[in-house]
Amino acid sequence: MKELFPRKHVYGFISSLLLSIIALSLYYFDLTFQLSMSILLITAFFQAAIQLIVFMHAGETEDKKSIYITIYYGVFIALVTIFGTLLALIWGYY
Amino acid sequence: MKVDKSLPLEYGTEQNRLNILGFWVFIGAEIALFGTLFASYFTLINRTGNGPAGAEIFEIAPVMIETILLLTSSFTIGLAIHAMRMGKVKATITFFIITLLLGLGFLGIEIYDFIVFIHEGATLQTSGFTAILFLILGTHGAHVLVGIFWGIFIISQLFKHGLTPRTNNKAFIFSLYWHFLDVVWIFIFSFIFMKGML
Repeated sequence: MKELFPRKHVYGFISSLLLSIIALSLYYFDLTFQLSMSILLITAFFQAAIQLIVFMHAGETEDKKSIYITIYYGVFIALVTIFGTLLALIWGYY
Repeated sequence: MKVDKSLPLEYGTEQNRLNILGFWVFIGAEIALFGTLFASYFTLINRTGNGPAGAEIFEIAPVMIETILLLTSSFTIGLAIHAMRMGKVKATITFFIITLLLGLGFLGIEIYDFIVFIHEGATLQTSGFTAILFLILGTHGAHVLVGIFWGIFIISQLFKHGLTPRTNNKAFIFSLYWHFLDVVWIFIFSFIFMKGML
């Protein structure tokens, strides 16, 4: 039974739960908006990294490089889309 | 069919390895898709018209339960793949079933949440804000729904054929998809719900 619950996965699960609890607790603390958003950014990207590395085995074969390039490229496109939109439409830099 | 025994079964053939790489490329495209939805959400967030704003309709309890359900399901599908690599077909199927049940629970609460929103006067047509809110949550929810059907077919194939390079490959690709949905939810949870309730 024990071998069905490898340590790596259990720790990954516990850390993602902890990160979620940190994010949820912001609701009860009265921090400034900037500070809360910074904490949310950190907890979200850490959780994404845990999923990618621990659970999705992104780096275990010879395709590691191609996989990471694909993911970085997707994230790059997403960030440019989001911040480009914010710059032009919300923050008024056009 | 040449099977390379030094790798996990799901990578064993050239075709299987390429299937997995191809699915990563698909996930890259999905990241871009959700990027555009988030960009639209941040643009429309203040366009509430006569309808409610996020802070008025978001509630912490359902969001908390949804997060825990999806996080746990991501853990159990990871365990399913681990069991699959040890060649334990029964444990694999059990973890798959638990995963899909947790996914179903997530969907149930999300639908309940949608009904609450609508009762509070936030429908798809109320304002720019509610339209993009339902669109982004609905796109994620639709992915979970598709995942549940996909998972059912994988379970039936595991029952029928057991653990072969082919079924392992399909199950592994499904696990990638499911973990990815959890990642998307983390961003929805952080930058839509938590940000809206701060």
